[in-house]
Amino acid sequence: MNQTLRDPREVMREEMLMHAPILAAVAEEPLTIPQIAERIGHPAPEVVYWVMGMRRYGFLSESGDADDDGFFAYAATGRQV
Amino acid sequence: MDYDVLVLGSGIGGMESSIKLADMGYQVLLVEKEASVGGRMILLSKVFPTLDCASCISGPKMSTTINHPNIKTLAYSEIDHISRNTHGGFQVTVREKAKFVDWAACTGCDVCQKECTVAVPDQFNAELAPRRAAYIAFPQAVPKKAILDRSGTSPCIAACPAGIKAHGYVSLTRTGKYEEAFQLNLDATPLVGTLGRACYAPCENGCTRSQVEGTLPIRMIKRYVADEHYATHEGPGVEVSPPTGKSVAVVGSGPAGLTAAWQLARQGHRVTIHEAQASPGGYARHGIPSFRLPKDVVEADIANLTAIGVEIICNSPVADLQALKDSGYDAVVIATGAHREAALDAAGVDAAGVVSGLSYLKDSAAEVGPDLTGKRVVVVGGDVVAMNAARTALRQGATSATVVAEAGKPGALPCNEIEYTEAAAEGVEFVFSTSVAELRTAASGEVTAVRCVPFSAPSTSADASEDAEAGETVQAAAAPATASTAASELVADLVITCLGLDVDESLFVELAGVGNKSRILANRRSLQTKAKWLFAAGDVASGLSTITRAVGSGRRAAHMVDRFLKGESLDGFELDSKLSTTKHRDVLARHSSITHRDPVTGQVRLNQQPRDFAEIEAGLTEEEARSGAGSCLDCGICSECQECAKQCPAFAIDMTQRDKVSEVEVGAVVVSTGHKLFAADLKPEYGFGKFPNVITAMQMDRLLAPTRPFNTVLRPGDGKVPDRIAYISCTGSRDKTVGNPLCSKFCCMYSIKQNQLIMGALPLADVTMHYMDMRAAGKRYEEFYTQARDMGAQYIKGRVAKITEEENGDLLVRYEDIENGGGIVEASYDLVVLAVGIQPNRDVENLFTDAPLGLDEYYYVAEPSAELSPGQTNIPGVFVAGTAAGAKDIVDTILHAGAAVAQVAAHLEHQHFAEQEALV
Repeated sequence: MNQTLRDPREVMREEMLMHAPILAAVAEEPLTIPQIAERIGHPAPEVVYWVMGMRRYGFLSESGDADDDGFFAYAATGRQV
Repeated sequence: MDYDVLVLGSGIGGMESSIKLADMGYQVLLVEKEASVGGRMILLSKVFPTLDCASCISGPKMSTTINHPNIKTLAYSEIDHISRNTHGGFQVTVREKAKFVDWAACTGCDVCQKECTVAVPDQFNAELAPRRAAYIAFPQAVPKKAILDRSGTSPCIAACPAGIKAHGYVSLTRTGKYEEAFQLNLDATPLVGTLGRACYAPCENGCTRSQVEGTLPIRMIKRYVADEHYATHEGPGVEVSPPTGKSVAVVGSGPAGLTAAWQLARQGHRVTIHEAQASPGGYARHGIPSFRLPKDVVEADIANLTAIGVEIICNSPVADLQALKDSGYDAVVIATGAHREAALDAAGVDAAGVVSGLSYLKDSAAEVGPDLTGKRVVVVGGDVVAMNAARTALRQGATSATVVAEAGKPGALPCNEIEYTEAAAEGVEFVFSTSVAELRTAASGEVTAVRCVPFSAPSTSADASEDAEAGETVQAAAAPATASTAASELVADLVITCLGLDVDESLFVELAGVGNKSRILANRRSLQTKAKWLFAAGDVASGLSTITRAVGSGRRAAHMVDRFLKGESLDGFELDSKLSTTKHRDVLARHSSITHRDPVTGQVRLNQQPRDFAEIEAGLTEEEARSGAGSCLDCGICSECQECAKQCPAFAIDMTQRDKVSEVEVGAVVVSTGHKLFAADLKPEYGFGKFPNVITAMQMDRLLAPTRPFNTVLRPGDGKVPDRIAYISCTGSRDKTVGNPLCSKFCCMYSIKQNQLIMGALPLADVTMHYMDMRAAGKRYEEFYTQARDMGAQYIKGRVAKITEEENGDLLVRYEDIENGGGIVEASYDLVVLAVGIQPNRDVENLFTDAPLGLDEYYYVAEPSAELSPGQTNIPGVFVAGTAAGAKDIVDTILHAGAAVAQVAAHLEHQHFAEQEALV
């Protein structure tokens, strides 16, 4: 990965800002975190914070089991911002 | 004596101490700093060596603690200090921290946290995921009640004289809740679009981001949500209280009057605005040109009022306030502003072609202003009216617009800096340090020129003479400010005088009296006049001010009128319940680093000699508004967006709560404040905080717990289910390089516990533990270790020297393989877990004000005779239980708490007998 990790407080604060792009990214099909990261152009470690926050508060849920590479895909639950 | 015993901390040691003492019949006060009892144990997955569910063991104890008739539990509370009292006991100052939620009403339903718009690290999930500023500690919390996390009032909110919750609408905007953001503004004023353009944005001066790379565009965000609302909604969409049967007249329809009317109408009062002019809006409509504030924006804002039933009667000047009241109103708000213009004291002021600034702007707004094509305009004065007049003149075709000001330089002009800057950029010319001596006129009676003389500043003013140069006309944007030293003459076809505004007292002088200058005499707090039914709002009470202050004044006046009409006192309450303002340095100190974000700013179109009245400032795009809002640092943590309050089914949100401090007397104290975990980033060679897939064992325990923050055990770097997991023992313990030579006693065992749980949760995972020595000295601990080995966990003896990260996020662990020849080996893992040791919790050491609580050489609470009297400290009557005295596992903590309880009982009984003997 070789990237500088930002202060988690700062990253988590941005969760609210990231709801819309993440929901847009998974609108058509469930995506794994690396896929979401690629779609929205943000580092995967930051996307983990956002996806897990959104999952916790009912915006996303995992869709099925993990794939062969060990990644779960996440789908929108339908809860609106 | 209020309580026999004070127990500090409600981890397993504190709960055990409290329950046992309470069972003995002692009255116990248990104080817990977090919002739930349970301490760290309730957050664990399972406990070793039985692999019992931690919740299953902790839960009943938590429930017993909170429900025991002999235990008073104060959660989310702290002790300020403890001192010895004269009865041999202790005087304790307890602070019950404000929760901003009425716990008696809260049902723990979690609606508030779902609606909250602020995300912060969740300390109860070892900061693996966010929680909300409105939160319930964790699912098994006891009591299960919500809290609003507030560190103060955000500086932007504190700075707003209108009482608008800027942080709130910024956080709503960043969440995409634009309509809610608009509605939050409507809570204060109907003039959202107007303030989104014409406010000087004191909130932005307060913004902590301005200490980093630049303020948030808070005003522009307000404008965005207003424009968005007006483009997509009909009417304001607010609820209005049922009719009260009371009626109120508001005299004047400027920002103060409109805001007062809005607030009163929302309270259910029938409101009528009497406006002397032909159209409502006051200064917002007539004083601010449409290139700064389009009239359709003002009209949209005013339509908010009429939509909720406010009647606006124009061309309705009021000459007698008493007669107005007697015509059927229960109260009257006078909000007539400061519109009396000072006259120019110079010969020729009565000439044709000499007009006052406000009347000129009003006519121009009504599109009945003069055609100035080819004309030369001189504006006398330097206030905002002068700037607006000069810029308007250019748009009406004037070949030149020259401001003649007594001020010595731009910064001394009686207007906002931006007014001057924009005027100069549009080609308005300035003559500083200059007075007008005479207006020369032609035989036909029309003004032809302005004769200027150097302005002699009062000796107390340094500004006027600082830049004295020559009386030449300059374009201020391109050249430094200059001043006149000799008489000169400016050719003028039109002279606009803008020499200041004050209050016309003629309407109220007899009824209410005149206070400072010509302002109405009214109570500064209540805005009530000596005619009890008459309240004042805006400039008529404060003197010439800003739109935003006028809005705040109108809001205050309305609130007071409402209380007056309800027969309530006008004293003894706060209009805006604010905490102390969060300091910039405290906000910045929360962050290890703050990433630079390019400030979002509005784009202002400033052309030389503009000829149209099109709005000069472009609004933000949706992307810009959200991005700008996304820079917010959440200074006060809770943004006061009010979403929780609106949605709470129990109406439990109470922003007026404050810390409650009380004094209690206790006979003994048990310190069971537990320990802190070693900060893993202090071992930089292991990469915690640098490599996302290096986590602590506490984080792994959260991932393994049923209430885990992720859907299963995933690595934080990319959400992958890890196949190869390494543990590194003794991270921060038995390590003199980090100042902790002690063994933490339970790291080996919790690591083995996690090894087993991982192999259960992820059957295909390989688990390897790199250890120095395996310490499994408790009952069935060795068997537990053997069981893990039999399940397939690998244990490699040898210290890990370094961890590096591979391109795919995997981790390369470099270690000495002692048992296989001592060579240096590298192994690749998906996830590394650092088995961190513990550190003393030093929060307790300054609580005792008489004699310091004794600490050992490692800063744990000292037990001077631990072998014979475990739990006793150096202070008679003060005892210690659990890991506050040193590393212990859960079993030993419970045993130690039992020992402390016995010591407490002996102490209390000894005190009791001593008292009885003294009586005999």
